[in-house]
Amino acid sequence: MQRRLCFVLGKGGVGKSAVSAALGLAAARAGRRALLCEVAGSDRASALFGAGDVDHERPVELAPGLFGIAIDVDHSTERYLASQLRVRPLVELLVHSKAFHHFTAAAPGLAELVTLGAIWSLAVELRPGGERPVWDFVVVDCPATGHGVALLETASNIRALAAQGPISEQSERIEQVIKHPAATGVALVARPDELPVSEAVDAAAALRRRDLPVALAVMNAMTPQRFRDDEAGALTAASLGAGGASAAAAAAALAHLERQAVEAVHLEHLEHGTGLPVLQLPLLVRQEFDLDAVQDLADAAASGLRSLGQ
Amino acid sequence: MIDSALADRWIVVCCGAGGVGKTTVSAAVALGLAKLGHRAVVVTIDPARRLGSALGLDHLGDEPRRVSPESIDDAGLTVPGELWALQLDAKATFDRLVARNAPTPQDRERILENRIYRHLSGAVAGAQEYMAVERLHELVEDGRFERIVLDTPPSRNALDFLEAPERITRFIEGKALRLLTQPATGGNIAARALHMGGAAVLSVLERITGAQMLRDVADFLGAFDGMYDGFAERAGEVRELLRSDDAAFVVVTAPDPGPTEEALALAERLGKEAYPLQGVVLNRVHGAPPVGDPAPHELRAILADAGARHPDDLAARAAETLDELRALAQHDGQAREALTAALGSPLLGQVPALPDEPVDLHGLARVTAALRT
Ligand SMILES: Nc1ncnc2c1ncn2[C@@H]1O[C@H](COP(=O)(O)OP(=O)(O)OP(=O)(O)O)[C@@H](O)[C@H]1O
Ligand SMILES: Nc1ncnc2c1ncn2[C@@H]1O[C@H](COP(=O)(O)OP(=O)(O)OP(=O)(O)O)[C@@H](O)[C@H]1O
Ligand SMILES: [Mg+2]
Ligand SMILES: [Mg+2]
Repeated sequence: MQRRLCFVLGKGGVGKSAVSAALGLAAARAGRRALLCEVAGSDRASALFGAGDVDHERPVELAPGLFGIAIDVDHSTERYLASQLRVRPLVELLVHSKAFHHFTAAAPGLAELVTLGAIWSLAVELRPGGERPVWDFVVVDCPATGHGVALLETASNIRALAAQGPISEQSERIEQVIKHPAATGVALVARPDELPVSEAVDAAAALRRRDLPVALAVMNAMTPQRFRDDEAGALTAASLGAGGASAAAAAAALAHLERQAVEAVHLEHLEHGTGLPVLQLPLLVRQEFDLDAVQDLADAAASGLRSLGQ
Repeated sequence: MIDSALADRWIVVCCGAGGVGKTTVSAAVALGLAKLGHRAVVVTIDPARRLGSALGLDHLGDEPRRVSPESIDDAGLTVPGELWALQLDAKATFDRLVARNAPTPQDRERILENRIYRHLSGAVAGAQEYMAVERLHELVEDGRFERIVLDTPPSRNALDFLEAPERITRFIEGKALRLLTQPATGGNIAARALHMGGAAVLSVLERITGAQMLRDVADFLGAFDGMYDGFAERAGEVRELLRSDDAAFVVVTAPDPGPTEEALALAERLGKEAYPLQGVVLNRVHGAPPVGDPAPHELRAILADAGARHPDDLAARAAETLDELRALAQHDGQAREALTAALGSPLLGQVPALPDEPVDLHGLARVTAALRT
């Protein structure tokens, strides 16, 4: 995850927001200026830092070195129009036109293109006067798989629709960045269950077909390796022989051991199915998934990525 | 709940936040209705197509297929009715919708080959949500099924699928845009003024999109000319059906703050917009293990007798695991309390977090069993 731009994708509820927050925090702690981007009205990731409303105009600091921004389609559309037309009254004419709203509300892929365009311009923005980018790391908490893949595919789709003109040129510029494996990496998140892993495997194939650089798989919420197979015998004896809570503890341990075995199978499926290095993140048992949890997850992400050489 | 709240509903719609178990619960409800003797079909939206294979239906596609009585027997189930399933294919459904409404075969071809249409009917901008509702309409017309259960796609906004038909028909209607693309012919002063404004908008728009894309859009909208009424009528019919007593909405959620927040918002909106919300199902709830602390000496002694190499350490890890289970159960219990308090009514159903993921008929039957009580 040394690349500048990272899209975090996965099935609904697998922990995309939590993982995005953790990756952003890990990067910030490593001294990189990191930006966490939220799209499509979600604020789960920034909420983990206890931030109130994250602005869509300007990044707000969530933790030392980590900033957050929410991409808003209407706002970004207006900004994009302003940059293209450069004449304020023309922009006003469009944004106040009913026809234009009908067009943008349902035109295939426009909302996605505008969102992607906004992310792209954040990723390529340079510091004043310098050659260095404003952001060393931009992590995007994407919507669930289908919509997330659609978001990434949108630049190519629009280019196929608009053969020439500014919108086509803009799409091409975006594509050059998001398809460039040195600049961009997609992280596919799953949980150790069959369906989320299958979706991640399918998404990896779909993204590769579109030449999008899938870089990493993340297996989130893994049951810790706490018991060994050779302990099963003693635990079985205790679950049968002991009374009450002791038997319950032994039974819980056996179930845990079984879960470890099931998850090992899913892990292998994720690894082989995607052909990607897999970052493993632990299941955190908490009453509340709060900032502490994100910090633990960021620690695990940092050391996991280090050992993967990422 | 299947036996009471849902048994006499023709259509059951399962909605909720991403990953809470909509697809699983939909399949389990359909199985439950088949167990009650109905011919039930579940319309699944499961891009990874795992549910089809779970039901023994490999390569499940857009056409309903029956789960074979043999595989039901093999799973040890008794099902007096019939369980059918299909996997939504948004593009195929959209193509049929166009074919049904196109005045001539030429009109149909013109649309199917239009580049804008080809993108629209794919995965983008609510097309899947729209087509889920359209597929439901087709099945209602088909008349073969006594019960139809509709799974809904993982949307950014769980109500997208109710709004998508309107949004897309509005685009196709494109009144305003059509006005722009047609030459001014007579009309009153107001219309001409509007048209002038329109022409300006058009030319500005063209500076952004390029002339060709705008031409394609105009061509696309032109091709739909005359079909809009048919589309709007169908969208209206489904909306009416979904608001009637033939339908039931089930909001699925998980014991986590994010999904719960979404479930509450969803329930409120369904109520406000007069959709027949039957209630909320809480899925993946961890049950409480027996209370009491494990007696460390007893556990240690039995483990040692049974040959454990580090009985102290093993007993401590086992106790830690039991504590975690309790914490999970407590967490989920609190989430349930918070949910029912906010709803102001009891839950429609609750499904335990199953140790084995319900990805076969046997597992689905366990979800069904939890939803029947
Ligand atoms: N490693 C973990 N251990 C324990 N709980 C976790 C972990 N990661 C995420 N969670 C919990 O799982 C739930 C879902 O996480 P999150 O909101 O990040 O998922 P998501 O994929 O972004 O969901 P959505 O598809 O709705 O955007 C949250 O309640 C979160 O607290
Ligand atoms: N009661 C349960 N116990 C254990 N696992 C479950 C249970 N219900 C669902 N699951 C598992 O949880 C995951 C999510 O379920 P499912 O795919 O049905 O959710 P969904 O709401 O349809 O997701 P999506 O929003 O991605 O369509 C799957 O891996 C499923 O097998
Ligand atoms: Mg999220
Ligand atoms: Mg689903």
